[in-house]
Amino acid sequence: MKNTFRGGVHPAGHKDLSRESRLRLFDPKGEMVFPLSMHIGKPAKPVVKKNDEVKVGQLLAEADGFVSAPIHSSCSGTVKAIEKRRVLGGGMAECIVIDNDGLFTPAEDYTQRTDASKLSNSDIIQRVQKAGVVGLGGAGFPTAVKLQPKNADAIEYVIANGAECEPYLTCNDQLMRIHSNEIAEGLELVLRLFPNAEGVICIEDNKPEAIEAMSRAVSDKPKISVRTMITKYPQGGERSLIQAVAGVDFPTSKLPADVGCVVQNVGTLYAIQRAVLYGEPLFSQCFTITGEAVAEPGNYMVRVGTSYAELLEAAGGVKEGMETRKALSGGPMMGIAIGSLDIPIQKQNNGLTLLAEDPVEAAEAVMTSCLRCGRCTTVCPMGLTPQLMCDAAVAGDLERYEKKLYGMDCIQCGSCSFACPAKRPLTPTFKQAKAEILEKRKREGGAQK
Amino acid sequence: MNMLNLSAAPHARDKWTTPFIMRMVTLSLLPATIVGILVYGWNAFGVVALAIVSAVASEWLFCKACKKPSTIWDGSAVVTGLLLALSLGPQTPLYIPVIGSVFAIVVCKCCFGGLGKNFINPALAARCFLLISFANAMAIKPIVDTVASATPVGAMKAGEVVDITKMFLGTADGVIGSSILALLVGGLLLWSLDIIHGQICFSVLIGFTVFLGLFGGKGFDPAYLLAHLCGGGVVMGAFFMATDYVTSPVSRLGQFIYGCLIGVLGGLFRLKGNTADSFSYAIIIGNVCSPLIDTYIVQKPFAYRKIGKTRKTSKEPFRIPKPVIALTLIAAIAGVALSGVYSMTKDTIEEQKLQAERASYREVCPEAETFEDSEAAKAKLEELAGGNWGTNFGSTRINEAIVGKDAAGNVVGYALSVSSKGFGGDVTMALGLTPDGEVKKISFTELNETAGLGMRANEDSFRDQFPGKSGSVSLVKGDAGENEISALTGATITSTAVTNALNAGLDFYDTVLKGGN
Repeated sequence: MKNTFRGGVHPAGHKDLSRESRLRLFDPKGEMVFPLSMHIGKPAKPVVKKNDEVKVGQLLAEADGFVSAPIHSSCSGTVKAIEKRRVLGGGMAECIVIDNDGLFTPAEDYTQRTDASKLSNSDIIQRVQKAGVVGLGGAGFPTAVKLQPKNADAIEYVIANGAECEPYLTCNDQLMRIHSNEIAEGLELVLRLFPNAEGVICIEDNKPEAIEAMSRAVSDKPKISVRTMITKYPQGGERSLIQAVAGVDFPTSKLPADVGCVVQNVGTLYAIQRAVLYGEPLFSQCFTITGEAVAEPGNYMVRVGTSYAELLEAAGGVKEGMETRKALSGGPMMGIAIGSLDIPIQKQNNGLTLLAEDPVEAAEAVMTSCLRCGRCTTVCPMGLTPQLMCDAAVAGDLERYEKKLYGMDCIQCGSCSFACPAKRPLTPTFKQAKAEILEKRKREGGAQK
Repeated sequence: MNMLNLSAAPHARDKWTTPFIMRMVTLSLLPATIVGILVYGWNAFGVVALAIVSAVASEWLFCKACKKPSTIWDGSAVVTGLLLALSLGPQTPLYIPVIGSVFAIVVCKCCFGGLGKNFINPALAARCFLLISFANAMAIKPIVDTVASATPVGAMKAGEVVDITKMFLGTADGVIGSSILALLVGGLLLWSLDIIHGQICFSVLIGFTVFLGLFGGKGFDPAYLLAHLCGGGVVMGAFFMATDYVTSPVSRLGQFIYGCLIGVLGGLFRLKGNTADSFSYAIIIGNVCSPLIDTYIVQKPFAYRKIGKTRKTSKEPFRIPKPVIALTLIAAIAGVALSGVYSMTKDTIEEQKLQAERASYREVCPEAETFEDSEAAKAKLEELAGGNWGTNFGSTRINEAIVGKDAAGNVVGYALSVSSKGFGGDVTMALGLTPDGEVKKISFTELNETAGLGMRANEDSFRDQFPGKSGSVSLVKGDAGENEISALTGATITSTAVTNALNAGLDFYDTVLKGGN
């Protein structure tokens, strides 16, 4: 029996473009840029100065506070500058820029395996924290924080997210096929922190090879099982997975840990395994470069700080005779549109998709008024009523949006916008409305002080 | 690199567009449209074509007049026009669909802000507007069937038994879109494609059925309920009108309440109202209530629906694919309607016909206590096997001839049922003769002539010419002399038919009945 959640949509997968391309390490030649904020929480504080020599894995910036993560170099060379650079999302942000010498000399030996049984729980958490591991599924939440919920005994499920529901992306598929044992070990390490939890690895049924590889890797681990999920977007959303595995729905005011679940992306588990057993900081992650407009779509282990443009070059550049209409960091459903490819790949990024045609542009040409057809309501994985939320948001009635329609529970998965036959821009409207409400709360909170 | 497009996520869109949905709705209405045109003829085609064309044209003109970009490409005007046409009678004068479409599009839709903004279903609103403002032109005239009331629902209200099979196939009198089978095919197609919400259409049907079952006075008699479900636009309303997105509630519970409300109101109006078109009004009231329903019933997100935690994991639900259910439903309903119900009602219909016949015999031959078959007549008619009687009476048949006797067993007269070809189909009359072959009285059992002309044959002034005639009579214009009948002005064909029937009956008496008994 396959598990799933309620609602959801079936966007075209396009995974065949890159799914058989074997994961390989990419060593860039150009300068490397490390934004100080590649995670949720406070930006890291630089510990290097201009002209400092750095090596692979060396600490560049340290965590500033509990919810923060350190940043390590992914290349060897000299610090060129600490300055504002353009980053993903279009804004300028403080970055450490390193002149890459192309040698990739490691700062330490990352091939020596530590005996896991000698490590205490706090050792594991400390190693994860020191390695700067953040959630690689896209959010970039510092993993060490996630591993320390208020009540570790109350955790019932540790869910390994290998759903990879985002269209086009295949790097997690490849990672699970090649590094299944490492992922299983990473999950085992996490399970040690939660004595009452079982490990569940969730994979969509469009990745049979990954399911097979992971099943083999956990066959000798009684506390871990592999569950096949129906291929449906957003299956890989934290809440969708918890719904599918534990059968719990919970409002956004609660965290997964409040309902006894911890969700970790398979990429994160791989990073945890590397960090805990080999002391290797997080300086590379799996990454898919794909799309109809890419000459040779493929999966790479990319170094943090590599520029998107350089990686595209490595993948053969733009396909001849093709024109890119849209470049996305990530896949089409939750990815961020990029205006210029001369920006660095951050820890939580997992793909570059080049589209020859822009579906949004095409959709805007056939946009009509809302028909009230209710498709958005049917597909919403949270059970919201997007059409009414949109009316309220457009009318500026944020009170109704928040209180009556539970608009803050929108996870911005994009399913409603995808499904809307009238092509209304629902998700962006909700993003805006949520931002306005948060802004208002902040203002009011400030006024009270 | 060229300029890249920037936009907020998501960057993928489903294939479904507004025009696609409208095309699918139009497609699903096509079976009913085609059946309507085939059964009712060219005028029906004219109504459909004019309704669609004027709907599209008026939307285009409105946009033009308001200096707004034209919205006719979204296809909603076509759907509105088609829905309106299907809810009009086939004999409707051709200016009616034009007025209706313009009203639907301009007043009900565009004036409220266009697609998605109207508060009542434009096609239904236009139909109600036409029903009230053009009651005569909107009246449905019988062209196919010959029940006393114009439509099956009217007949049901008059307490008559109707032919469900004909209603189901769409060969009974009614609006253009009255083929239940064709509407079901289209409606279930839309439902199986998830274009319309099952909780609306099925709750309308269930609400209506349950209400009639409880308060209709006949209990849950399948023949009775099916007859009501098949008539008066219930199926069209449930699948195509009530499910209109814009005018129905958003939440599932709200949709269910809305559907039940329409079903119950439709049932109430059907039982207590005095018009056969009441279902439209029920839906309109539902439309008007839906903003209210939406205000009070807002769907809560999953996370807020249950109190406390549940540990039930979502499994891949086992669902029979909707198209399979739809096909099965169509097959099952068609089977029941075509066989079971027919046999259930067949006897009743035959019985009723027979009783009507008997009553007319009694009327034309009142002295008789009992009627007996005439062996000679029976033999002769069997020999004819439904063929015409004689060669001098046009297309005229003798259906039956029986002998009336008094309590003592003496022959007091003869009663014949004679049919002749009139202007609007057969003219059938009961003819009462004295034992000597003199006309006692005539009475029409089947008369579908033109109102105001041929139908005047049933007036006393015409019928009273017949008693006392015998042998052979001839038709004249103006005043009639001995053995002459004065023709109806402007209805020669009808008059001839009646005369032929009379002469055939008299001839039959002379050759078969006279002296035979």
